[in-house]
Amino acid sequence: MKLLVVEDEPKTGDYLRQGLVEAGFVVDLARDGVDGLHLGETGDYDLAILDVMLPKLDGWQVLAGLRRAGREMPVLFLTARDQVEDRVKGLELGADDYLVKPFAFAELLARVRTLLRRGSRNQEPQQMRAADLELDLLRRRASRGGRHIDLTAKEFALLELLLRRQGEVLPRSLIASQVWDMNFDSDTNVIEVAMRRLRAKIDDGFDTKLIRTVRGMGYVLEAESA
Amino acid sequence: MIRRASITARLTLLFAAAATAVLLALGLLIGDAVEQHFVEQDMEVLSGKTQLAANLLAQLRSPVDSSALLRQLDDSLVGHHGLAVVVLDAEGKRVFATPNAAFPDVMLNPAAGSSKPRSWTQAGQPWRGMVTLLPTGNRESPPMLVAVAVDISHHEHFMESFRRTLWLFVAIAAILVGFLGWVVVRRGLAPLQAMRRDAASVTANRLDTRLSLDAVPVELAELAESLNQMLARLEDSFQRLKDFSSDLAHELRTPISNLMTQTQVALTRARSADEYREVLVSNAEEYERLARMIGDMLFLAQADHGLVVPSREPVDLALQVRELFDFFDALAEEKGLQLTLTGSGQVSGDKLMLRRALANLISNAIRHTPAGGSIRVGIEACNEGTRLSVENSGEPIPQEQMSRIFDRFYRGDASRHGGGEGAGLGLAITRSIIRAHGGEISVRSGTAGVCFELRMA
Repeated sequence: MKLLVVEDEPKTGDYLRQGLVEAGFVVDLARDGVDGLHLGETGDYDLAILDVMLPKLDGWQVLAGLRRAGREMPVLFLTARDQVEDRVKGLELGADDYLVKPFAFAELLARVRTLLRRGSRNQEPQQMRAADLELDLLRRRASRGGRHIDLTAKEFALLELLLRRQGEVLPRSLIASQVWDMNFDSDTNVIEVAMRRLRAKIDDGFDTKLIRTVRGMGYVLEAESA
Repeated sequence: MIRRASITARLTLLFAAAATAVLLALGLLIGDAVEQHFVEQDMEVLSGKTQLAANLLAQLRSPVDSSALLRQLDDSLVGHHGLAVVVLDAEGKRVFATPNAAFPDVMLNPAAGSSKPRSWTQAGQPWRGMVTLLPTGNRESPPMLVAVAVDISHHEHFMESFRRTLWLFVAIAAILVGFLGWVVVRRGLAPLQAMRRDAASVTANRLDTRLSLDAVPVELAELAESLNQMLARLEDSFQRLKDFSSDLAHELRTPISNLMTQTQVALTRARSADEYREVLVSNAEEYERLARMIGDMLFLAQADHGLVVPSREPVDLALQVRELFDFFDALAEEKGLQLTLTGSGQVSGDKLMLRRALANLISNAIRHTPAGGSIRVGIEACNEGTRLSVENSGEPIPQEQMSRIFDRFYRGDASRHGGGEGAGLGLAITRSIIRAHGGEISVRSGTAGVCFELRMA
């Protein structure tokens, strides 16, 4: 997967590139709007991450230029200004998502993966598994090692999210938004508590722990601990 | 350009105009009274002379007597050079006339009979006179017309000079009164000047200044009091703003100081990878908290500049509360809290914002309810539309904290480190959201616990 990042702030640009490369992407970084547009027009990218405030050409102009050149890859905006008008403008121009600075890198990664997955919608699986954990989506049943696990509806949704995105570190904000539709930062430790309870049901009594807390980042479900 | 007239000028002008009007009316009244007096004097003379003529005519038995009559009439008029008399018989013939007799012809018409007293000018001389039809002593002869007039030029002269003096006095008095009015108004408005000076001394650093109420007249006392109340409100807001700025600095200083110390201590010597990871993880948590605080601050800053509700749609409050209960379920269960919802209601607003407002209220309640307690959310219709109350069991809020509970960074327990709990912005955000929706939020506290109540349409 090849990504284009257009970001003029040197540190942010470097760390974005490093983080995304380490997450397994191929990344081209442009430092201003003109370079970014040129790269976007000539290269073949699966997704573009654009800063709104850029020298020479701003993010909106880069996006408009890309769309004019017939480039239809998903575009994620980074903005330091959280204004409703900005959001509306971005969506009107055909942006697919936006993140307000400062953002958690895990959040960016999760959004990028969501956008990339959107294009290639596979057949909805009826069953999901990780190691000996099995999730039957049709019958809404979970079992581990053949033993049935009793889950509440939300716990099931949480587990489904973790399984669907196996191996990805999911930030708390993403979990709150996907499972409970809470699209704002909450300063409570609701997610920790819910996660702890889910882990008690899934991992207690098993040698292999599937759900892992990545401190400072979020949670991940992995079949084999790396 | 609109010219703002000064109160002094306006009052002086009004005062002078009123005084002039009164003086003018007075002048007219006096002039008329004096003139009336002269008219009455003249009438006395005229009726006296007419009476005299009537008496003489009554003695007239035959036409022969007329010469004697005339003599008598002449005699009785001696020494009255300002008097004019004309006597006409029925045919209009002049039986008697003083040499200066100058009557308008219309008056000397026997057919017309008596006429009312009137004044006129004949040959440059003003006269006042009356004409009376008088019977004679001779029953056969018809009544005679007696016209009597007095020269009123000396009255006219007097009136003229009297009026001139009168108007001069009126004019001088008006000017004088105007000037006096100006002096009085200026003195009367002196308290305003004093207030202006007081007000001028109020600055951002001296908001505790108040206008002194002792020297202020009753009429201005209310104004001064209103201004003082305004100052008090400003001082309060300003104080809050100042507190807020210093709170903000403090709130930022603590985590940044933690970050700096931790990072620099970690860098003082080589450490194991695990130790480094520990520092980074701790930093990441701190950063996350900072980022959340900045996000909340920006939200509130926007709210201060008139937060716009992005979209209005019918929002089912009961549904929102149920979903939030669902979200907080795990947390409540851990603390052994019982969450209950009664009633239902619909409001118009932005779903996401309202959900955020309610989430803050519920998480606040969860945080402050002791283990094993209960949280009750009630929704019902009220005058303003819909009332939603969030009530939790637990310690009441001290009275002195009630007014500050919606302030930013305000935490009831006054401790700065609530173990990673809220930054004290939740309730401020809730209030901003509710206000942006045209609603109001209040808090009550009693022995049974604390109840937040919001009303909106």
